[in-house]
Amino acid sequence: MTLHMDRLAQGGPWRQRALAEKAVLALGLLGLALVLPPWPGAALVLVAAWTSALAAARIPWGDWLRLNAAPLGFVLTGAAAVAVEIGPDGITLAADHGRAALAIVLRASAAASCLLLLAATTPTPDLVQGLRRLGLPVELIEIMLLTWRFIFLLQDAAASIRNAQEARLGWHGRGRSLRSLGLLIAQLLPQAMERARRLEMGMAARGFDGTLRLARPHRRVSAISMISIISLHLVLAGTCLWLA
Amino acid sequence: MHIMEGFLPAGHALAWTAISTPFVVAGVRRLKRILADNPQARLPLAAAAGFTFILSALKLPSVTGSCSHPTGTGLGAMMFGPSVMAVLGAVVLLFQGLLLAHGGVTTLGANIFSMAIAGPWVAYGVWKLSDRLGLPAAIGVFLSAFLGDLATYVVTSTQLALAFPDAETGFAGALAKFASIFAVTQAPLAVAEGLVTVVVINALTARGQMHGLGEKA
Repeated sequence: MTLHMDRLAQGGPWRQRALAEKAVLALGLLGLALVLPPWPGAALVLVAAWTSALAAARIPWGDWLRLNAAPLGFVLTGAAAVAVEIGPDGITLAADHGRAALAIVLRASAAASCLLLLAATTPTPDLVQGLRRLGLPVELIEIMLLTWRFIFLLQDAAASIRNAQEARLGWHGRGRSLRSLGLLIAQLLPQAMERARRLEMGMAARGFDGTLRLARPHRRVSAISMISIISLHLVLAGTCLWLA
Repeated sequence: MHIMEGFLPAGHALAWTAISTPFVVAGVRRLKRILADNPQARLPLAAAAGFTFILSALKLPSVTGSCSHPTGTGLGAMMFGPSVMAVLGAVVLLFQGLLLAHGGVTTLGANIFSMAIAGPWVAYGVWKLSDRLGLPAAIGVFLSAFLGDLATYVVTSTQLALAFPDAETGFAGALAKFASIFAVTQAPLAVAEGLVTVVVINALTARGQMHGLGEKA
């Protein structure tokens, strides 16, 4: 079983691009979304992130829209709280007519698109390897890489247990669903630990000393791409300050 | 309850990152000590983090009809202890942001504080307190998971109210707004998570696996 985001990242055309290029593009845009005024700054970042994702990284439209819809529930609910005021007359529309809420929605949507651009074009192990180069403790990196592996193993195990429960009408009705979920989790946790124990034995037998060495094809950072990316950031920041 | 990417202003995002960092650094130090003393703990710890991630992908039938997922805050604190949960929680939250678009990188500090620090410590404290008070185990487990969940929701509402104070009523008014809006989903979720955690701990205890797991991790 796979996760949708991981499938996009592993199979996309930007899989072969250097991590530094993708990280500087996406995180640079993310920084701009946060520090520039939401209008027009975040709007410009939103356009740049969507164009990069759809035209350059060629992420399919349907997938991209679905990914962007995921954070919207929280963003809209949170923004709704900012759009109203509690006063003596009860709940009323805020004095700024929801302008602050709109700014939050714009900034959060732009920022989320930037993170999605990075996540949907770069497999998580590549990002973890990047964090290692940035100086994160090696123990933490190993735990992260092993966690990533366990996610897929446990996802399969959880899906099998759930299928078996559904076949026995275990998810019919709220009470039974709660009980089934509890039993699923109770089943999954010892399974996770048992798998960990077996994996540990197998790796120890092969001389595992705690260091995970992964084959990582060398991808050269293109100077032209890097200059273009930084120029894009500068143009966006300049345009925003000129329009604001 | 994850705060989504870009929702917090830059200053608040930085401040919460600074507040959470010492807890995570302390957790990493503890993790290093655990791995130095017992290198075999590496895989059980990773399995625990993977397990916490998978919990967020499981749908929880909520009382209001909306579907949400368990956070595993209380369960993780009971099984693995709150200090290690700060690191495992940070790893899980980063992966949730990258793989599920739940949370984000700039809001990681704020989310770590609510879900990997405040929630687990409250859950752990309640669990220990109920044990000392001699409450029945099921009630202790329920209260621990329920209040751990509730703590994450109250902390998140506080974080949002600090970032977006109400124009008229300031921080208090904003806290009331955020707390009441999110209560619709979070209060039933906390009850459901409390009940599910009781089923989990009962099943693990009945199989004699509760003690062994805590020891391994």
